[in-house]
This record gives sequence, structure tokens and C-alpha cells, in this order.
Amino acid sequence: MAEDTTRSTDQPEDRQKDLHQVNKTGLSRRNFLKGLGTGAVAATVAPATLAEADSHSATTGAEITRATVKLSINQQVYQIEVEPRTTLLTVLRDGIDTGGQRIDLTGAKEVCDRGACGGCTILVDGRSVYSCMMLAIDAEGKEITTVEGLADDNELHPVQEAFIEHDALMCGFCTPGFVVASKAILDQNPNPTREEIQAELSGNICRCGTYPFIFEAVASAAKKMK
Amino acid sequence: MAEWGEARKSSLLGKYTQRLSGPQKVTGQAKYTFDINRPGMLYGRILRSHIPRGTLTALDLSPAQQMPGVKAAIPLIEAGKEIRYEGQEIAAVAADTKDIAADAIRAIQFDYDPLDHVVDLGEAMSESSPQIRDWENNQSDRQIDEKGDLQAGWTTADAVVEATYSTEVQVHTCLESHGHVAEWDGDQLTVWASTQAVFGTRRDFARHFELPEDKVRVITEHMGGGFGSKFGPGVEGRAAAKLAKETGQPVKLMLTRKGEQNTAGNRPSMVQHVKAGATKEGKLVAYEVSGYGTSGLGGGAGFTGPYVYQVPNYRTEKFNVAINAGSGRAFRAPRHPQGAFAMDSLMDELAEKIGMDSLEFRKLNDPNEIRHAEYDRGAEEIGWNRRQKVAGSAPGIQKRGIGVGSGQWGGGGGKGTKARVNINSDGTVEAVTGTQDLGTGIRTAIAIIVADELGLQPTDITVKIGDTLPGLPSGGSGGSQTTPSVSPVVKTAAMAAKESLINHLAEKVNVAADEVVIKEGSVTIGNNQLSWKEAASTLGMETISEEGSWDENLREGGAAGAQFAEVEVDTETGQVKLIKIVAVQDCGLIINRLATESQINGGVIGGIGYALLEDRIMDGQTGRSLNSNLIDYKVAGAQEIPEIRAIAHDTDRKVTGIGEPVTIPTAGAIANAVYNAIGVRVRSLPITPDKVLTALEEA
Amino acid sequence: MEKFSYINPARLEQVPGLLKDDWQSKVIAGGTDLVGEMKDYIESPKRLINLKSIPGLDQISADDGGLTIGAMATLTDITEHSEIQKNYTALAEAAGVVASPQIRNVGTLGGNLCQRPRCWYYRDPDTDCLKKGGNMCYALSGLNKYNAIFGGGPNYIVHPSDTAPALVALGADVTILGAGGQRTIPLENFFILPTVANPYRENILEPNEIITQIHLPKPIANTTSFYIKLRERSSFDFALVSLAGVFQMQGKKCQDLSLILGGVAPAPWRSNEAEQVLRGQVISDDLGERAGKAAVKNADPMSDNAYKVTLTQNLVKRAAVMAVS
Repeated sequence: MAEDTTRSTDQPEDRQKDLHQVNKTGLSRRNFLKGLGTGAVAATVAPATLAEADSHSATTGAEITRATVKLSINQQVYQIEVEPRTTLLTVLRDGIDTGGQRIDLTGAKEVCDRGACGGCTILVDGRSVYSCMMLAIDAEGKEITTVEGLADDNELHPVQEAFIEHDALMCGFCTPGFVVASKAILDQNPNPTREEIQAELSGNICRCGTYPFIFEAVASAAKKMK
Repeated sequence: MAEWGEARKSSLLGKYTQRLSGPQKVTGQAKYTFDINRPGMLYGRILRSHIPRGTLTALDLSPAQQMPGVKAAIPLIEAGKEIRYEGQEIAAVAADTKDIAADAIRAIQFDYDPLDHVVDLGEAMSESSPQIRDWENNQSDRQIDEKGDLQAGWTTADAVVEATYSTEVQVHTCLESHGHVAEWDGDQLTVWASTQAVFGTRRDFARHFELPEDKVRVITEHMGGGFGSKFGPGVEGRAAAKLAKETGQPVKLMLTRKGEQNTAGNRPSMVQHVKAGATKEGKLVAYEVSGYGTSGLGGGAGFTGPYVYQVPNYRTEKFNVAINAGSGRAFRAPRHPQGAFAMDSLMDELAEKIGMDSLEFRKLNDPNEIRHAEYDRGAEEIGWNRRQKVAGSAPGIQKRGIGVGSGQWGGGGGKGTKARVNINSDGTVEAVTGTQDLGTGIRTAIAIIVADELGLQPTDITVKIGDTLPGLPSGGSGGSQTTPSVSPVVKTAAMAAKESLINHLAEKVNVAADEVVIKEGSVTIGNNQLSWKEAASTLGMETISEEGSWDENLREGGAAGAQFAEVEVDTETGQVKLIKIVAVQDCGLIINRLATESQINGGVIGGIGYALLEDRIMDGQTGRSLNSNLIDYKVAGAQEIPEIRAIAHDTDRKVTGIGEPVTIPTAGAIANAVYNAIGVRVRSLPITPDKVLTALEEA
Repeated sequence: MEKFSYINPARLEQVPGLLKDDWQSKVIAGGTDLVGEMKDYIESPKRLINLKSIPGLDQISADDGGLTIGAMATLTDITEHSEIQKNYTALAEAAGVVASPQIRNVGTLGGNLCQRPRCWYYRDPDTDCLKKGGNMCYALSGLNKYNAIFGGGPNYIVHPSDTAPALVALGADVTILGAGGQRTIPLENFFILPTVANPYRENILEPNEIITQIHLPKPIANTTSFYIKLRERSSFDFALVSLAGVFQMQGKKCQDLSLILGGVAPAPWRSNEAEQVLRGQVISDDLGERAGKAAVKNADPMSDNAYKVTLTQNLVKRAAVMAVS
């Protein structure tokens, strides 16, 4: 597999050149996005034009400036071209895969973008993580679960059912983060006390103030999941 | 004139109904403005000033314009103009990706002549301060209110309290930041907006771009919090539309968290110097206050006082102070939490001085009977008789105390909403109006009202809101006006639709209209019973479509509230732990008890943050805010939440709005509880450990 | 974030060479501090060296010599480890109150020890403070509520790590990998106070050096340890003041102890004065009081943080009481 050898340098002008080179090697970004607009799936990009990188290629310690990563999200594999600085949250919300399909997993929200509020919470190998603080390139080889992956066909996850029943939401912007975090709690601790629920949800903020009903919903989901 | 009448006894009104938007929100299917993606969409980003004050001398957008992936860059301030606060908008770009947009704004060069800034209130009011507005000593909007004979009042007072109370600048902290997706199609503009006012936003865009209003469409299907800060497009909305126009592509411009915390509004601060006197029989006889606050560069600071209490002799002086900081905006009960905290504390201090129970003292001076009932109910619920008889007298290091706070809101809604109810021949029912649901649950309330009228379930009603396209206006969701403004019109629309269906059926079957009864999902005509669906199918090719009309008999204003707090203060660390909060809130005629209780919880939790944690910090040296992020600006998290007993106090009143009243009494209740626990008063919000320790040490 | 290139080394030994010595490259572990700094443009390294690609750095293993924790072990790994919970309780407790569960699930021990300060002047990309190479410490003349009361000057940051005080109290060693190979030193000597010559760094690492593991000595019998963290906000906050206590007790008599404070100084702060009062003594409430007073005898509060003196005094007193209960 060819490695991306485009090398960024210290000089801003070279960085500009670098960008131009990337654009010359494949579809320019503008065309890429325009292709999306028609709703049609863009033609698969031939490997020759977009240099693929095995992002975990460790043999040469090559400097990666672009990579095509394979991400397993909700048990579906997506292939997407990213820069090292691209976060997993950006991939979920704004990412367009190499087939030109928008990933469109907008459940995880951008709220603080600094790992301080939980709005972007997803699961990585079953553990809750702030997707805004995770580089997409580091997500390869992991099992990623977003809120969209919790319902089973047409059946809601017990946590989701409980949130609706107990009105554990108002504006709902924090809700995906809380739902995912709550599922992770119950997977680890099937019978949490209220104090434990509060402690384990301390990484999620709700400005509307739905916490009391969230605690009730989690306790109720725990019962459902027995 | 319509009446709620039968509806008061209905199986739906006032009961616990699940929020209709729940399934979409818990699955991540609900699309907010932040989630909207349009074909060919660009990402907008604003360059903000890092200096608090200066004159812009040069602005060079070309490094951004030349950057690959950047499609447009526009100035948002002209050279020669003054930059007046950190965060002020300098320019905006639109680029293919968010990362490129962020690179682009960093590439923009601008130059300025610095000017002296001021961000401290005391400094701003002094003679030596830079004059940052054409106001004398940076002060404006001085309002003086007088009644009776203050001097005479002092002479009759047996006890006088003189104190200074202060509250912080509080930031709305909407989780979905302000922002829009703007898309032009020829001369038509469509905007997805995170807004509390789709029609107000439409009007603003139309004026700004000199378009007829019907060429602008604003859509807000779901939005992630407003709390008063999102009533119009703002600089960022207009910038998004301008960039979209220039590029010919849709542009999504959402504020970053820093921009959101810094420049998208806040609750002005308050400092008040107050003196009040009461007789030993418990009557307030004199009240004198001079107070001010800052709303950044704008006006709007203020506070309530003497608030819910009647005092025959008073003088109040309130004014506004300008500093170089992001301007305030309406924030959940503007002026009330500030004033209530001060009044609640003051009344407690006076009650103690005359040796009277705090609740008794309040009742003697507050004529509101509903609040009296709420005091009684809340007192029983919290165990008011467990309160320390002498503040601070509990033994041990962790000391408990109980306190009370009160609130009063106006609201009550008004005309201006148009709504329509359609009954389709397949039995589906649509309720359409141009209001928006910020999390208040109005969507579900509409469904409940219509379902109740038609004998159906809320899930049978398709509610269409948050879109100007149907041409059914409604006001902005502020002032706790939404439910009382929308409910009457929806109710009368449903009534009219029901009547139309009845008349249609009566004619079809050739009976008198009063022989047709629509109830509980079925329709009885004489001795025959049809299901709702069967009845609707008789419409054939027709649709029933009825508009509602304003009926002010269905709503009223004036929501009274009282809250009680029990706290435990660690006298060695100054930490205030909340044990329990009881909130007794008049909610008028309750439509959805579940959403109402959520709203009460939410208001209390907003009040907890205000009382104990939140504070927008400005640095005098740099003129910048130091905590425009969610680590250092501390809103209440999961571990701050005590047991909250949310009591929707049923009355015979009509539909009213409670979005705001529920957040007013909390800080006063907590502050009074802290005093009751430790016998030392903290008169400044937020009550953080350092202030408690300092107060204990100075005692 | 600025653009950067990403390197996945296969072997640990490659790291110093990849880091070079020009401060233009950094390692990335969990990224929960670094990514935030990069998003705010406080740090914009041109190259990131990914430590997650190196196998075996996250192991926790006990042997006769004690316990070894790989620098890449996550805080969750540490909190959930039964050996650490039982024999090094202060560390389990400290790791368990870092930030939030989401942070702990990816944040590493090495990252927690090497994290940068939270001082809001340092964290403001537009303020060129002393630590970042500027002329003055803005906290000294400005708003310093959260800054230092010991060891400050010329900058007045506090070290924000929770695991650091706990590990220092437990007598941990740290292994450092540099161009010349690995070396092991007491963790207490890893952290440095600011000096006029070097107000920039919080520890001794050279630009091409990293932490690879922590080693804890075998637990001593009759030793109890704990970590107390006082915060303004219980949900997700840094310490106002924190304390890691390790007490070797014989009944109510304190044979030996370590008292390390967090949140009060630019490095984890051993309270020598309090230790002296308590060492070898039967602990009573009275003695605890005296220890508390001794702990703050030489405190040097700033204009806004005198309350930290009270907190420290009371926390030390409380720790003494906890040791006997």
C-alpha cells in the first residue's frame, strides 16, 4: 500500500505548496463537495490519484499528513480521507467518505469542542469518550458506537425508552451525549446508586437542567435491562 | 369567549404526557441548525478582536481570500471605526471545511491603534476612567422612583438594615451556539436558524437585505437552548447570509464556544446599596436603594426592588454602567433573579432584627395570596420548623440551614399568533403555527390541547411549528409568553375544526348537530358509533381546515413562586452542599404536567448555578474575559444536583407561562439557607468557598 | 488546530530521535490536554509522535519489588485496578477524581503527570505571559484566585495533576527515556519550581524525553493512604487545594508519613512542617490542629487566594484525623 509521502515543512510557503499538491493529486475539494450536492454517489476514487496511507504503518515512522482511514462505526465500516488534525467528531458530523457519501451521524454534537461538556460523547470499545478530543486517525481499529447505533432495528434501547418516559430531555441538544454515557454506565455497573449515576454523568452538562429526570431514567433503564 | 371548562377535568390536560420530540432526540435523529448540511455548503467562521478597545487602522483579507478552499471573506467593521470589546467581529470567511475556515481567519491581518479600556465597574464609574461611551462617567439610564416620605419612614422604623448586595454577570451558555445556515435561491433566502423567534428573524433578514418578507423563510425545527439570547440573526446571521450571497453556496456559520460565551449575551451584573426599615410589628416602612450593573457596552442592567413587597415610603435609583465587554441580552427573567436575591436576603435580615419568623414577616408585607399558600406548602415540605432558630447555632463542622426565596412574573401572553387545525379524510390531524420549541415542550402542549378537544391522543396529532413558510405567525418565545399566546389560538382552532366536523357529520346523517358527540377516539351519532377514522373518511375529497382566534379569556399572567433550600455548609472548607430544594410554583392551568415539572427543575438548576458557581470574569490588565469556556465558566453539573421537589401549584387560574418565574427564587433561598447554617451572611453571588471562608473569618 | 504531521513509531527507542530537540515535536498520548492546547493555538507542534502505536506501554504489573505502571495506562485502568485500590489507595482515589469519566477513559498516567497548567493567563492564547516567553506574570498583578500560595515566583501557577501528589506521597519513581537511554529518579525530583532562568517548564524533561513508567515501592504494612480533592464544582473541576496522605500507623501513633499538597504550588508540595509535627507522634485532634497551623506557617498568599491558606490548614488537620479513624 502506497504511503502518503507528502511532507509538510516548516515554511508557510511550502505548506501552501503542499496544499496545492494535494489538490492536484486528486479531486479538488470544491468538486468533491459539488459532487455530493447532486445526491449521486461520486465515482470511487482510484487509489492512484488519492494516496492512501496505512495510518498505523510503523515500519518507517513516516510522517503522515493525510491518511485514508477505515472506521468501524455502529458496526459499519466507513472509509474516509482525513488530515491528522481531523477529529473524530468532525468525521461523524461533517465527514464525506471516499465514496462521496456523507456520513451524517450528527447525533454527537459540537458544544465546547474542548472535552469539557460531554455533548460529543460516543463509545470507543464500549467506553465513553469525548469524540471532539479524539483524532480520527486514532480511531482506526476501534469499535465506535454513536447514539445512532443504540436502537436495534426499530426498537429503542432501554436507556432511550427510559429517557422518553421520564422526560429526561428538554431542548435535547445534550441528550445524545447523555444517552450514550448512560448506556456505558449500565454496561459497566448494572445496578448503580443515584450517587454513582451522578458521579458517572459528571462529564456531561445539561443547561436546561434535566438532571433529576435523567437520574430517574438511568435507574429505570437499569431495571429494564435486568 | 371560550373557556377551558371541561378541559380542566379532561384525561389529558394537566396529566403526564411524554414529549413528542423524545424519540427523535434520544436517537440523534433530531436535526438542529448545527446539524443541517446542504448541498455545496460552506463553513463560515468569524474573526474576532483579541483587544478590548482600539481604532481599526487596517484590515487585509487577502491572505484568507488567497487560501485554497476559501471562497469568500468579508469585513464586519470598517477601518477607522472603534473596536469596543474583546470578541467584537472583525471579519468573516466561508470555506470548504471548518478547519480551512479556522486557518483562514488566522491568516487575516488587521492593525489598530490601542485605546485605554475599562472592564471593572468601580473603575468605569470613576472620574479617571476612560470614557468608552458618550455617557457621563460611563453611566446611563438612570431611573429614580419615589413614593411617600422616606424620612418619616425612617423615624417609624424599629429596625434598620443597611447592606450591599451584588450579583455576577451570568452567561446564557446555550449548548447549541448561535448560528444559521443561509441559502439563496435567486432572490429567495432560506435560513435554518437556532432562534427563539422564526418570524422576528425573518423580519430582520428581510429588512437587512431589503427583501420582501415573503421571500425569506426561516426554519427552526429543533434548537439547542436560547434562554433569551436568540431573538434575531445578529451579526453572525447576517454574515452567513452575505457570505452565501457572495459565494452562491449555502453557508453554515455557528459560533465557536468562545464566541458564544463572550459575545452572545449575558445577564447583567448588579451592585446595590440598600437600606430598609421595619416596625417591630413586622411592617416595612422605608426602603431606599441605589444600584447599578453592567451590560457591557449596552443598556439593560437593572433589578427589581422592592419587588413583591409593599412599602409606603421608598426611593429607588437604578442605572447602567458601560464597560468594554460583550453586551448583555435578555436572560431568563431579566432583572428578577438579581433583585430577588437582594430582597430575599434583605427581608431575612430585617426579620431577624425584629425577632420575627421570616415567613411571617414576608406574608405581612406581600399581599399575594397564592404565594402565601406556596409558603405554607413549601414550609411543610422542607420542614421549616427544623430551621435553626438561631442562625449558625448547629454544632459541628458541617452545619445545616434552611432558607426561603420568592419570585413573581408577569407574562400572560398576547395576541398575534395564528394557528390552524386540519382534519384530513384519512383521520390524520395537523396543527400548524409559527411558534418554536426551545425545549419548553410547546410542541407537545399543542398536541395535548388539540387531542383533548378532538377526543384523540397527543400522538395522533402532527404538530408543525418552527417554520415561517405556512404564513402563520407567532411571537418570539420570550417573556414566558409562548404557552399563553399559542394555547388560546390552538384551542379555538381545534374547537372550530371539531365544530366543522360535527356539522359535516350532522348534515350527512341528517341529524341535529347536538346529536353528534366526538369523544375518546370515537364519534357517536344518535345510537350509532363510528371510529374517529371512519368518521373522518366521510369527508371524502374534502379537508377540514380551521384557523383559531385569539381569546384572552383562556390565559392570564402573574405567576407567583416560592422556593425553599436546605444546605449543609462545611465551615472548614467553605463548600456549600445542597441537600434539598422545594420549589412551589403557580403554573396556571397546566397542560403537560411532565414538561412543567421539567421546567421547574430546570429553572431551579439554573438558579443553583447562579447562586453558587457561575461568574463571567474580566481581566483588568488585558481587558479580556478569562473564562469563555466550559471548564472555567462553571454551570451546575450532575453532582451539584440535590433532591428537588418540583411542585406545580394547581390553582383555578388559566394558562400561563413559567419558563422564567421558576428560576427567580432559587438564589435567595440558597443564600438565606447558608446564613441560617453558619450565622454569617454572604451578600455576593456566586457563593463560592473562598467567599464563605472569608465571611467566617471576618465574623 | 494548525496542521501537523503524524508519526506512529513501532518501538519506544525511536521516540527521542523522532522528538529531536527543537520543541517543534511533541508526543501525543490520550491527547486530552494536548489537543485542547492545540485547538487554542497555545501549542502548535509541527509533528506529533503517537505513543499509542507502541505496544506494551500501558501495562500494570505487580511483583516483589512493588508495582510498575506503564505511562500509557489510562486513569480508568488505574482506578479499576484491584491491587492499586488495595495497596496504593491514594493513587486509585486520585485517578478516580480526575476530570470526568470520558477523560479518564483515554487520559494516561504520563499525560496526567505532564499536563500543562490551567492558569487562565497561560491558557489565553492572546496573553503573552511569562511562562510562554513574555515579560510578566499576569497572575501576580491580576486575578489570582486559583494560583499558588507556596513556591511561586516568578510565575505562580499551580500544578493541576491529581495523580502527581498521590504518587509522590506513595514514594514513586519515574523512568525517563531520553537520547542517552532510560534513567529512573524519584518522582518528587521530576517536578521543578519556576526560576528566573526557567519559568517555562513544570518538569525536568528535555524536548526529546518522555516518561515511560512509574514504579511504586512495595506497600509497607499498616499503611493507609488517601487523596482528598476540594473543588468549587464537584462535577469536573480542578482542585482548589488537594492532599495526598500516606500514613504508616501503629494504633494512633504515626510512625511515618507523607503529606503532599496539590493546587497550592507549581509542583506537588510536600508539607515538611506538618510532617514534622506528626511524625512519631500519637495523633490527637490537638496535634492535627498544630499540624494544620504548621503547614501554612510559611504560606505566601497572593491578593485573591488567602482562602487557600485556610483550606490547606483545615485539610491537613482533617487528614490527620482521617489517619486515625
